[in-house]
Amino acid sequence: MQMSMRRSPSGLFFTQAALIVMTLLWISPASWLFMTAFDPAASGAFKLPDGFTLDHFAAVLQRKSGVQFINSMLISAGTATFTVFVAGIAAYPFSRLNIPFKNGILWVLVLLRILPPVAIMIPVFLTARITGLLNIPGVVLALTILNLPFAVLLLKNFFDAVPIELEEAAYMEGATLFQIITKVIAPVSRAGIAVVWFMTFTASWNEFLFPYLLLRTDASFPMSVGLYSAFGANNATNYGFLAAYSVIYLAPAVIVYFLLRRNLTTGFAGVGVKG
Amino acid sequence: MKRLISSNHMWLRNVAGPVTLLVVPCLIFIGIYFLYAVWTAYVSFTDLGLIGRKAIDPSFVGFKNYIRLFTRTGFLDSLWVTTQFTLISAVLGQSFLGLTLAAVMKSPQIRLKPVIEFAFLFGWLVPDIVAAFMWNAFANRDGFLNSLFLGPLGFDSVNLLNQYAMTVIIVANIWKGTAWSYLLFSASLDSVSSEMIEAAYMDGAKRFQRFWYVILPMIKAQIVTNILFVTIWTFSYFPLVWGLTGGGPGRETEVLSIFMYRQAFDVGRLGYGSAVAMAMLITVGFFAIFYMRFLKEKK
Repeated sequence: MQMSMRRSPSGLFFTQAALIVMTLLWISPASWLFMTAFDPAASGAFKLPDGFTLDHFAAVLQRKSGVQFINSMLISAGTATFTVFVAGIAAYPFSRLNIPFKNGILWVLVLLRILPPVAIMIPVFLTARITGLLNIPGVVLALTILNLPFAVLLLKNFFDAVPIELEEAAYMEGATLFQIITKVIAPVSRAGIAVVWFMTFTASWNEFLFPYLLLRTDASFPMSVGLYSAFGANNATNYGFLAAYSVIYLAPAVIVYFLLRRNLTTGFAGVGVKG
Repeated sequence: MKRLISSNHMWLRNVAGPVTLLVVPCLIFIGIYFLYAVWTAYVSFTDLGLIGRKAIDPSFVGFKNYIRLFTRTGFLDSLWVTTQFTLISAVLGQSFLGLTLAAVMKSPQIRLKPVIEFAFLFGWLVPDIVAAFMWNAFANRDGFLNSLFLGPLGFDSVNLLNQYAMTVIIVANIWKGTAWSYLLFSASLDSVSSEMIEAAYMDGAKRFQRFWYVILPMIKAQIVTNILFVTIWTFSYFPLVWGLTGGGPGRETEVLSIFMYRQAFDVGRLGYGSAVAMAMLITVGFFAIFYMRFLKEKK
């Protein structure tokens, strides 16, 4: 189609110019953030840095923000691992067996995925308060519940694509169920499992509402809540510090995306449901 | 004989029992999720408080919380703020811009595609609170918007978050969310057959006509899907607005999720907060029913 339907030169020029203007607008917050993070005389103003310094980054690593980075890692890796485990072992039977009410259950998962989190916020808080889970393990449990529906749907799609003949062959050779799961299914679906793990990791890494709801002390905050309390609390804002903090905080989310880029379309597979 | 749990495959028949047990942990979690939604519904009929006597000994108040939604100020204002925020930033902003961008970027003559894509994706990938922090600084008196646009145009520099808070959160959300719509539409445009478009071209259809009469009808389902998902998400979106304005100044940008959070955890009225959450849930439910109807018609 392309060769025969070229734009007129002037039309193309305006389209390209409009795109470049939009790109500049879109990238300007990022450019401000990076300029400020390395600027020794950082202020909220939009300007070129006066010099180059890593002091702000050093400050982030020294203070309690270093602990908050570790908290974010614990929450995200914990949630991702737990979610993928529970979802993975459930997605396999959902993919292979005709379980009673299977379609009903899968529809419930789709509905839960679009349920606004505020709808379960109050019970989550009440349970955590009663059971003494106003802490990081409590956040991991809450985020697992939230991420599970999507993870099950995605993993079921992955398993559906794995040919069952492999398992049958192993069974003929005399492999036990446990061996089939660990030696045949797990290696074949490793890529799919990794995608879901990283997606859950990123979602938990970015999550603000539930840690904010359940955690009470600076030392237990993940970076989302740490950043919020740092710029929300005092008016005399230390922009250099906050920008460096932001750069460290956003890096894993951006890097994970570009690692998984090719598998991204699978993320949309879960949007619709295949009955 | 028909078994309760069956499989079309020989080897799985013998192990179907133990394999099915693997579903149990997942069902427990899903059950809790469901139970929580029911629990919220239950709390919404009580006057449960966050602290104090009402926290230990709540009483049943019937529909009082729901009547309050419509008789007291607060909820309806928030609903209006949320509707504006959702319609303008998600439907008009993200979806429309995402579709336009996806359509334009399909042309092989456009240069710098990876750079353009990265700029849009960056906004989407950045965590909500970082976005809130950046836009907070942007809207400052000496921030980007003032020093690069308002200043040169001869306006006095203003604290945009005080004067145009609603505009700032809408712009920030368009900045943040457009990439998602762009990616979805980009994928759906790939599925449109080029023969159809060429045929339309041969018949003399202009560029806009080809888009309007040929391409758009073919991706109608994806457009509806996109609009519904961004609507549902934006309707209950919390962190960006909370981090950027906290609902202020006054209650100008207090979207429903913030109103609900405030009522439940600042004011301490968990019962009333639950009623707000239920109202949000029911609204989203209507969107979902509409969506499923649409999908069924498509089939």
